[in-house]
Amino acid sequence: MQAVREKRSEFERQALAHTDALYGAAYRLTRNPRDAEDLVQDSLLRAYRFWDSFQQDSNCKAWLLRIVTNTFINEYQRKKRSREVLDAATAEQESTDGVLVHADANDKQSPERAMLERSVSDDVQRALDGLPDDFRTAVVLCDVQGLSYKEIAEIMECPVGTVMSRLFRGRKLLASSLRDFAKSEGYVHADDAASRPKPEPTIDLEKYRAQRAREGSK
Amino acid sequence: MTASLCSSIDTLAMAYLDDELAGEERRELETHMIDCTTCRTHVDGERSELSLVRTRLATPPAPDLLKARVARALDAEDAQHAKRERRRWSGYLLPASATAAAVAALVAFVAVKPVDSNGIAPDLVEVTRQHKPMPLEVQGASTTPWLQQNFTPSVEVPQFASPGIRLVGARLTAVNGHDAALLAYNVATGQSEIGLSAIVIRNLDADDLSGGTEIQVGNRTLHVLESDTMVAVTYVSASHMGYAFMTDRLSPDDLVRLVVSSDLIGRAQRGR
Repeated sequence: MQAVREKRSEFERQALAHTDALYGAAYRLTRNPRDAEDLVQDSLLRAYRFWDSFQQDSNCKAWLLRIVTNTFINEYQRKKRSREVLDAATAEQESTDGVLVHADANDKQSPERAMLERSVSDDVQRALDGLPDDFRTAVVLCDVQGLSYKEIAEIMECPVGTVMSRLFRGRKLLASSLRDFAKSEGYVHADDAASRPKPEPTIDLEKYRAQRAREGSK
Repeated sequence: MTASLCSSIDTLAMAYLDDELAGEERRELETHMIDCTTCRTHVDGERSELSLVRTRLATPPAPDLLKARVARALDAEDAQHAKRERRRWSGYLLPASATAAAVAALVAFVAVKPVDSNGIAPDLVEVTRQHKPMPLEVQGASTTPWLQQNFTPSVEVPQFASPGIRLVGARLTAVNGHDAALLAYNVATGQSEIGLSAIVIRNLDADDLSGGTEIQVGNRTLHVLESDTMVAVTYVSASHMGYAFMTDRLSPDDLVRLVVSSDLIGRAQRGR
């Protein structure tokens, strides 16, 4: 009983402190507040069950984000597919819930940010919808959570080079969709130089380093 | 060197803006950008694009409702865990063997009305708490002879039928002016070991350790006391020796089963 209480307060101190960050990641991964809440709750419960296996001196936020990411990839999407049938039947109820949760989430922000959120959240979510899961995950872990390439590589269980190319392509696709939406709503001029299509470059830091080493030794 | 910088600018700009370049690589690129307008313009363009993406991806904080939901889920998990622990204990203490029937018969106790605490029972929790960080004075096989010599020759050290319950050692203490000995046991559960303390107190009257809930096991009277962190099962023998078994890791039911499985209660019971 004592041990359970100690575990709980330790978990609250170290893990629950990251709830906002986890919600941010979940919100961008699932693209809607309701699913984000489910994902965060499932992930935190899972983290609590495996708390004994968390290395106390390692990065707790990265460990939790790994659980969020894996839960999202492994279970959430399967669950979501099976739920879509049900959702169609209760679509009206759902949209009402979504608005309520959203309003609650916005309450705590600055008015400017809330306004920004309302005006841009739809096209951000639409742009994210267009990304393959791997690209979206890399972008969320880097640009929403600020993790390093190495931390992302550990979470996604892939080489750093793969993280970089997913991140590069994910950002390009995202920026391009956002520009398209902005253009269609008149925020950006159509002749914006950045919107011109460019050939796909190769992203490879190792190759550059090898090349540089060869040139340096000449 | 410049050629490789220009040809790798997509990679370099990205790593540079993500602060992933090594110090020397970063300085090289910065120096290069002073002279190379193309690369400088490219990095500036990437910087503003990255800033657009990051600004747009900023997320709201977690709703308070979610935080409340998580807290409730963790409460439920804690409750589940406690239940599992107890179930494991029941399985462990009541094995599918001949002893099961004997123990089950002994456990046919009845709870009598709760009685007000009197005597020295309330001091027990305090004594156990104080002793937690204190070292034992004797450990291992010499514990019983040591107690006979230093505590009282007539001491009966409770033994348990199960090999999973092991006497670790003992130290002398006092409870409210009575000489006492604290005995430490380790109890092996499926995955870990939990601590069980037994305090043996000399020269007690039958109701000195009463309080909490009174239960009858055969013709023995035990008391179950609970504090916020501890459960204690107490018993005073016919020879005025008091025993208090205490732990912070078991449910009252399981502790009663454990105590009843000791030779102290079992032997007295079977002897009659």
